[in-house]
Amino acid sequence: MTARNIERALFAAFAAFMLSVPWTIPALLSGFWVNLVAEILIWSLFAASVNLLFGYVGLLSFGQALYFGFGMYGVGIGIDQLGLTFWPAFGLGIVAAMAMALVSGVLAVRLTWHYFAIITVVFSLIFYFLAVSMKWLTGGDDGINFSMPPTFTFGKSIWSFTDQTFQYFFILATVALCFYLMHRVVRSPLGKAFLAIRDNDVRASLIGLNVYLLRLVAFVMAGFLAGVAGALFAFFGRYASATYMFYQVSGEAVVWAIVGGAGMLFGPIIGTSVFILIRELVSTHWEHHALIVGFVAILVVRLAPKGLAGLWADWLENREKPPAEAITVNTLRTEP
Amino acid sequence: MSAPILETRSLTKRFGGLTAVDNLSLTLPSGRLHAIIGPNGAGKTTLFNLVSGLLTPSAGRVLFRGKDITGLKPHEISRLGIKRTLQIKSVFNQLSVADNLWITWAASNRVLHPFRAAADDRDARQRVERTLEQTGLTALARRPAGTLSYGDVALLEIGMALISDPQLLLLDEPTCGMSPAETDRAVQKIRDMAKNIDIIIIEHDMPVVFEIADDITVMAQGAVLASGNAEEIAADERVREAYLGRPEDEDYVEEAAHA
Amino acid sequence: MMDTLLLLALNGLIWGLIIALIALGLSIIFGLLDVINIAHGDFFMVGTVVAWFTLEYTGNFWLGFVTAPLFGFILGALIQRTVIQSIRGAAALSIVATFGLSLILQESVRIVFGPTPRRILPPISGTIPLFGIEYDIYRIFAAALSIAALAGFFYFLQYTKVGTWMRAVRHDRDTAIAMGIPAQRVYMLTFAIGFGLAAFGGVVAAPITTVDFRGGVDILPFCFMAVIIGGLGNLPGTAAAAVLLAFMEGVIQSVADPTVARIASLVLMSAVLLLRPQGLFRGFVR
Repeated sequence: MTARNIERALFAAFAAFMLSVPWTIPALLSGFWVNLVAEILIWSLFAASVNLLFGYVGLLSFGQALYFGFGMYGVGIGIDQLGLTFWPAFGLGIVAAMAMALVSGVLAVRLTWHYFAIITVVFSLIFYFLAVSMKWLTGGDDGINFSMPPTFTFGKSIWSFTDQTFQYFFILATVALCFYLMHRVVRSPLGKAFLAIRDNDVRASLIGLNVYLLRLVAFVMAGFLAGVAGALFAFFGRYASATYMFYQVSGEAVVWAIVGGAGMLFGPIIGTSVFILIRELVSTHWEHHALIVGFVAILVVRLAPKGLAGLWADWLENREKPPAEAITVNTLRTEP
Repeated sequence: MSAPILETRSLTKRFGGLTAVDNLSLTLPSGRLHAIIGPNGAGKTTLFNLVSGLLTPSAGRVLFRGKDITGLKPHEISRLGIKRTLQIKSVFNQLSVADNLWITWAASNRVLHPFRAAADDRDARQRVERTLEQTGLTALARRPAGTLSYGDVALLEIGMALISDPQLLLLDEPTCGMSPAETDRAVQKIRDMAKNIDIIIIEHDMPVVFEIADDITVMAQGAVLASGNAEEIAADERVREAYLGRPEDEDYVEEAAHA
Repeated sequence: MMDTLLLLALNGLIWGLIIALIALGLSIIFGLLDVINIAHGDFFMVGTVVAWFTLEYTGNFWLGFVTAPLFGFILGALIQRTVIQSIRGAAALSIVATFGLSLILQESVRIVFGPTPRRILPPISGTIPLFGIEYDIYRIFAAALSIAALAGFFYFLQYTKVGTWMRAVRHDRDTAIAMGIPAQRVYMLTFAIGFGLAAFGGVVAAPITTVDFRGGVDILPFCFMAVIIGGLGNLPGTAAAAVLLAFMEGVIQSVADPTVARIASLVLMSAVLLLRPQGLFRGFVR
């Protein structure tokens, strides 16, 4: 089996598993875990927005929570205060996140590296404090609770997030679509231009790439991913809150992305799964699960500096005999 | 004769108290291979940085084919057809050799499509394959550029210059750090390119300069010290003076004078 | 009105001095080790907690001025050796590692100290008249102590052997190593001193803030901003920026509520970053 075939087989197994979650997981564990998988998907998408910027363009953003928050509030305010139905609210969340990314990006991508990291934190903190203080609009720290409008209505049949299975598949489909789009972008001419800028921005400008504009495009795309994640999370939790705009939320996404493997499409999914699963598995037995998360983060840095996906890629490259069965077993074991 | 390929008018660049390029006025006619030489700190690389837009001049203008390009951004200047290499070899280390060429070609020829797979572009692929053959890098096409030997990186640089279809090519010490054999290969390539492209080269290796350059400009302390063809430069007293204290260069000057 | 302004401006000034101590540690750790230290706010928090325990077990607050920085110094040296040393030169990895460190520190404190914030009473109470208002004595004392610590740090950097080593490594690592400066020891000492400074800031601040396992979270962005606005590598600039930022926030607080003041100072900060990314004070010191 070639490396490519192994990856294809793995992907097929992964896809099959994801599609079967609403039936296999409750049978093995409980319905709660279906929601957990959905939550992991949403946060993976959020970490993917960090990955797009850091892994593919070389910009380390510590402020992606801002666009997550805008996606969330777009949905929350849209439904609660503007009386929007599902799709307009979804659209409002995404557009709000992208607009905010465009406006802040115009300023932020003039800077790079540490300066970029700091200015993205500063922007997100400004809007975090604004959101906390504008209680009439945002509900402050308490947030906005809203009742879920239906997603589709065909005559008498109504599809809504109140149905756990529908909710799961809607989230899965949306996240999968976003990852597919990102996959297309990364392999496209635009994606190669991103990589060139990540590698050597001076050289990139000398071959005729408009570095500023390309960074801005990437920033808005990342804003889109974070915005979709935020909007989904608002639907998922039926609420929106300023706490999700704090810089620590952005920081977690950076860690998930790097631990999973920056610059690799599936890196964020792996990193996010590991951390959220540890949290859930440990927190039921021991309230100090953060301690374990901390040790895992340090351990990964020491043992897998290219991230877990990087470890996998290296192994795939170095392997001599293809032990195909062992691999499938391996992946299944990482699932809950 | 048409407008000169490159012209600078009273070009000046100051860094704090230091004047790196001082009221420099150059006119370089088209169709010839120009070399710029001069001792370290003469302002040669600064001149390239000003022409390619990495630096903005403190005063003066830069004209490309009679068009004022002063103050344009590097990518805008690049798209006009002025391409350059950097003194310290600089390619996209984590991209493959083929991708280095590919992105260089695409940067000046294509709107960057956001969704179509890059590998599907047939024109681009053929052009990349041809350039790989021209530079003898076909066997290394899939290697990340960061893992290449120094000489191969230099070849890749030349390949990137070739594939970008420049009208004016600025080469900053292209043979620096090369073995004699590699230097010979590079010189041959530069000569070939010069048949169709205007080239300005900064070079420390005097034999190389005297071998390939049609016109030589000697810079010192940010200004033009002398200009002319190889014999004129070799015979110039001021040039000898500027290089005094650097015996190896003086030897080259003498060697060339006797050649 | 004038009185409130003065009071808040003074409060801001004193916070600024404490933040300067913390931010200096952040700056040297970044400058010498290339480590973006997400856990640095928690180093400060650890200082406040050690102060609390010192008071609890010995009944003597003053002892905290020794125990906290000492504890920080030793823990810092240990952390550098076990965690930081293996990731030298990889700033992105340092974020993950120090994020993990931050979680470990916070959670450990939550285990031994508990989740509820507590207060420490100032060891000296009372007020003295200052510019026409009655001002808290302990805060004056805190200011004096911070200034002394800042002066001590700059003296250390300028006039001691280790300080000279540190400046040399920061200025040109390769040359410094070639000249026989023990880089590994310098890295360890730098991290230890950075932790020690933040912990010292923690004791000084303990009586004027709350002792809480999340006490470092709000401080952290502030310190990073001081480092950047002061100019990367410019230590006096970092200290000045910290004082300036906190002072300004104090002044704005006299006319607006704290959140608005925070927003205003953040907006100002983005303006500085965009207009003078090399820092406010470039050209003064290098």
